[in-house]
Amino acid sequence: MIYYLQLILNGIIAGSIYALFAVGLTMVYGVFRFINFAHGELIAWGAYLALLFTQTLFSLPIYYAVLPALALTIAIGLAQERYVYRPLRHGNRISLLIASIGLSYLLRNAIRIIWGSDLMTYGLKPTRGFAFAGLSITGTQISMMAAAVLFLGGLYFLFTRTMLGKSLRAVADNMELAVIMGINMKRVSLTVWSLASVFAGVGGILLALDTNLEPLMGLTNMIKAFAAMLLGGAGNVWGALLGGLFIGIAENVGVAFVSPGYKDFISFVIIIVVLLFRPKGLFGILGGVR
Amino acid sequence: MDYLLHILIIALIYSIFAISLNLELGYTGLYNFGHVAFFGIGAYTSALLSLAGLPVAVSMVCGMAVAGGAGAVLAIPALRLSGDYFGIATLVFAEMARLFFLNERWLTKGPMGLPGIPRPGWIGGGVAALPMFLAFCTLLTIAAFLIIRRLTTAPFGRALKVVREDEYVAQALGKNVLTLKIKAITVGSVLAGLAGGLWAHYITYISPGDFTLTETILVLLCVVLGGRGTNWGPVLGAFVITFFGESVRFLPIPMDFGHFVAPLQGMVYGGVLILIMLKRPEGLLPEYKG
Repeated sequence: MIYYLQLILNGIIAGSIYALFAVGLTMVYGVFRFINFAHGELIAWGAYLALLFTQTLFSLPIYYAVLPALALTIAIGLAQERYVYRPLRHGNRISLLIASIGLSYLLRNAIRIIWGSDLMTYGLKPTRGFAFAGLSITGTQISMMAAAVLFLGGLYFLFTRTMLGKSLRAVADNMELAVIMGINMKRVSLTVWSLASVFAGVGGILLALDTNLEPLMGLTNMIKAFAAMLLGGAGNVWGALLGGLFIGIAENVGVAFVSPGYKDFISFVIIIVVLLFRPKGLFGILGGVR
Repeated sequence: MDYLLHILIIALIYSIFAISLNLELGYTGLYNFGHVAFFGIGAYTSALLSLAGLPVAVSMVCGMAVAGGAGAVLAIPALRLSGDYFGIATLVFAEMARLFFLNERWLTKGPMGLPGIPRPGWIGGGVAALPMFLAFCTLLTIAAFLIIRRLTTAPFGRALKVVREDEYVAQALGKNVLTLKIKAITVGSVLAGLAGGLWAHYITYISPGDFTLTETILVLLCVVLGGRGTNWGPVLGAFVITFFGESVRFLPIPMDFGHFVAPLQGMVYGGVLILIMLKRPEGLLPEYKG
């Protein structure tokens, strides 16, 4: 029994990070109506940039390294939009998709050039976990959940209490109408890409703290974020949050029943099943803030 | 000289692979981002059957049949999805296929791969057989090229183009859009299976690492660079990409930097994909639109 509870707890921890990824992906989809295949690379670049700032040249402690790493991740996100997606926005949809696949491949291979293809870590000393009622959790994992709560709470505040958040929702609802009503599209686009990059970067760093860094981490997590986004209904931010938690729990509990080699298979199956039977998402019925 | 023969054989195998993707991506407008799955299914089926003792020709035909069958089975549910979602579903399918190759050790030997796949008996093994293998590949490429040209200049091909341009128009003209798409995917998958079988019997060793997103990007690049929706485009693209990829080996790169070559190549492929989309989305040979 405790074994399954532990699996569920691990699932919630992983799921809170997937939720961060999925929220960014779904926000971009909600506003620009396309799936950014390069979203995963923001995750990986966030994690690797934090590594860069902890290493020889800067040798900052990890909690200070996070800030410049996130700033650069935002710069990558904004550059994606400015130099690739904006020029293509009014063209053929397939051009956007192919360009985003090309972009993700470019960024992934850039990581391999700079940092190599081997597994890496931040080189922190392992800390003793806390145990209560037979369940164990490490400090990193607590900060993963705390970060998810903090960032998603901040997002909730932004969406419901600020004019900027309202204009974001308006643009997601109907871009043309929003522009006609005088909403500044540049500001909205800047906000969406910055938020998506920050969420991806923070999630990537936390995930790398808990596990390790590898060039393919972007692709793997992009697929999971995509599964979470679909579960929640594309463009639905709170759906993506629930979807992320669901994927995390399903994956970790699933390991009790299938071989660990098939762990990633679970999110693939979820993607296929949701696409086929509930294309509007499992939680689409809840409505939620778009 | 032998090396040139080797490059030509690889270019021809990629030509067949690109021709098959072009039928789906170029003519029918289906964003198949998981085409490598059918290449892999063809390769593994053919390799396993020939290792079990069947003649190479028979096992290659079986490989094509299994790949075509898998294509049809995937197509029927996946075609309920449109555009971006179809792209993701196929991408996920390719990853599932790769995980299957990796984990079903009793069948595929997992990450160890399958060594010692026989060449066709009448061609023989070793370097001496390269000219014969080249002739074999040339014949099959010409056959694939002619079949696709026949199909796409026939009313069937024009119907596919209507589906690509506007599904509602195709429906209004009394075309069964779903059947047309299923046929396109099935034919495309059969040819991808042929390319995969040729690859397996030429290289004589396959492992799950041969069928990753990298191969998807490569074949996508062949089609997009050459020119979507043209007969010669994919062939031209395959030759350009193969010769570029192999020419990198002759650059005077110091030994210490050898491990930068593959990622650098990857960055170039990704960058070229973005540049084509931005500057010349029709590719080197534009489609004639009368």
